[in-house]
Amino acid sequence: MSEFAREEKVKADIEAKFAGAVTNASVQRKNRVWLELEPSRLPELLAWLKAAGFDHLATVTGFDEGENLGAHYHMTDTKMLVNVKVKTPRTNPVLPSVLKVFPGALSYELELQDMLGIKVEGLPPGRRYPLDDDFPTDQYPLRKDWKVEEYLAKNPLFPTEAK
Amino acid sequence: MSKITIPLGPQHPALKEPENFMLVLEGEQITGATVNLGYNHRGMEKAAENRTYIQNLYLIERVCGICSHSHTTTYITNVEELAKCETPKRALAIRTLFAELERVHSHLLWLGVAGYEMGFETLFMYTWRDREQVLDCLEMLSGNRVHYSINTIGGVRRDISAEQKAGVIKRIDYLIERTNYYIKLALEEPTVAARTANVGKLPPEVAIERGAVGPTARASGIARDVRKDEPYLIYNELDFKLITHNTNDVFGRLVVRALELVESYKMIKEVLNNLPEGPIAVKVPMRIAPGECVNHYEAPRGEDIHYLKANGTDKPERLKVRAPTLANLQSVAYMMEGGWLADVPLVIAAIDPCMSCTDRAVVWDPKKGRKQVYGWEELRKLSIEQYKRRGVDFTRL
Repeated sequence: MSEFAREEKVKADIEAKFAGAVTNASVQRKNRVWLELEPSRLPELLAWLKAAGFDHLATVTGFDEGENLGAHYHMTDTKMLVNVKVKTPRTNPVLPSVLKVFPGALSYELELQDMLGIKVEGLPPGRRYPLDDDFPTDQYPLRKDWKVEEYLAKNPLFPTEAK
Repeated sequence: MSKITIPLGPQHPALKEPENFMLVLEGEQITGATVNLGYNHRGMEKAAENRTYIQNLYLIERVCGICSHSHTTTYITNVEELAKCETPKRALAIRTLFAELERVHSHLLWLGVAGYEMGFETLFMYTWRDREQVLDCLEMLSGNRVHYSINTIGGVRRDISAEQKAGVIKRIDYLIERTNYYIKLALEEPTVAARTANVGKLPPEVAIERGAVGPTARASGIARDVRKDEPYLIYNELDFKLITHNTNDVFGRLVVRALELVESYKMIKEVLNNLPEGPIAVKVPMRIAPGECVNHYEAPRGEDIHYLKANGTDKPERLKVRAPTLANLQSVAYMMEGGWLADVPLVIAAIDPCMSCTDRAVVWDPKKGRKQVYGWEELRKLSIEQYKRRGVDFTRL
């Protein structure tokens, strides 16, 4: 795989540095590295990547895989994207905050909390985002079992205007 | 002096979009700022999971009124990557052309808004008049001014004819002349410099830390542009410069955008003059094999990134959209701190606001059951006639 020498090197470096915590690391194509990580090591890995030149956290994608919830952290040095996947059990979904490493990640982490109900440990107090202040706090719209129709049946739109 | 916290927004003078800024003031000076978002959350990511790939194209186009082409191109790049589709070269060139026309339209709009916010309304009138030229190009090529819908999975929907090409080049030549005037204005006009220099400072290390993207980052001297860093479409074949500026303030953002316009004109002409021959679209199956991928794109406001996961059906399992403004807003809070209250609209506007517009009306006559589309000229004629009936004759003015 000399074609992707740089990608293979980044992957090998991460695997060596975080031996045991990294699984399923792969080079998908040029400039794309995917790996799965033990959630507790997340801030540490991101700090290490940041020092290695991957100083832009492009975004965080939350997902619902049924038994597990989780998130992809898309890290980039502008050329290569390293996608770090972390999973957390649906029964007690918790992820550590990466705000100490990337202060710009605030809105991404708030989104994980609001849309998927993953508790992010270490978030500062403040308003919620992106959902409305009066949206129920026990409902998480991006979970697969959340259906718009069921929500609307229970919560008709604009109750104050319905006469 | 005691500190006062005041809310700016959700409805406020800087943007036509709802956002709330809580500003902590000490006199006229801002000592702290927080950004509150979510007033416009439309649940598009959830909606995308219930629609087919082709339906999502039209949903994603409506993420933004200005970056409509940016979002669909990023989305479609993901879909085509998962479908292992070989998009024809001519389609990629046409997408690039639209991407640059969109950048011109967005940057001219921003120049106008910046002029408006700094109290230079003539600049606003000028740039928005000139922006009509590029909107005319887009309408001529796609049939629409804002939501072009030129992309389709596997290629583009419309080809470009020789007359259209000549029409675009004619308008671009006019815009080049006008833009040279704006650049002179930005660099030499003392009132512009006085209003924008040292306003909304964003040092490069903060810009990196807070994840700033696009012209906001480039005005802080960070050479980041997805078109150069990871060329998509046909950008690796085009000759253009990556524009940066090192003043870290609103002035720098003005200069970066004005100079980027020149690069875009160059690229538009280059693409039009070297359009590869061949088909404009290929067929792609409705169902996409399971897989996941992520792609980014340099939208007019900065890096736009989409993540797509397919599950083997004709609908995506998960689609994530991160528009550039979200990445830039954390920097805005920093830019405002230590600044003056009167600079707030300019600082917010400097990362680029968003609006969509249209200049015509469709009139439907239920008795006759027919539709009539009025253009600018007809609307103007109608209004002159109406005022004539009321005794005012505008034709003589």
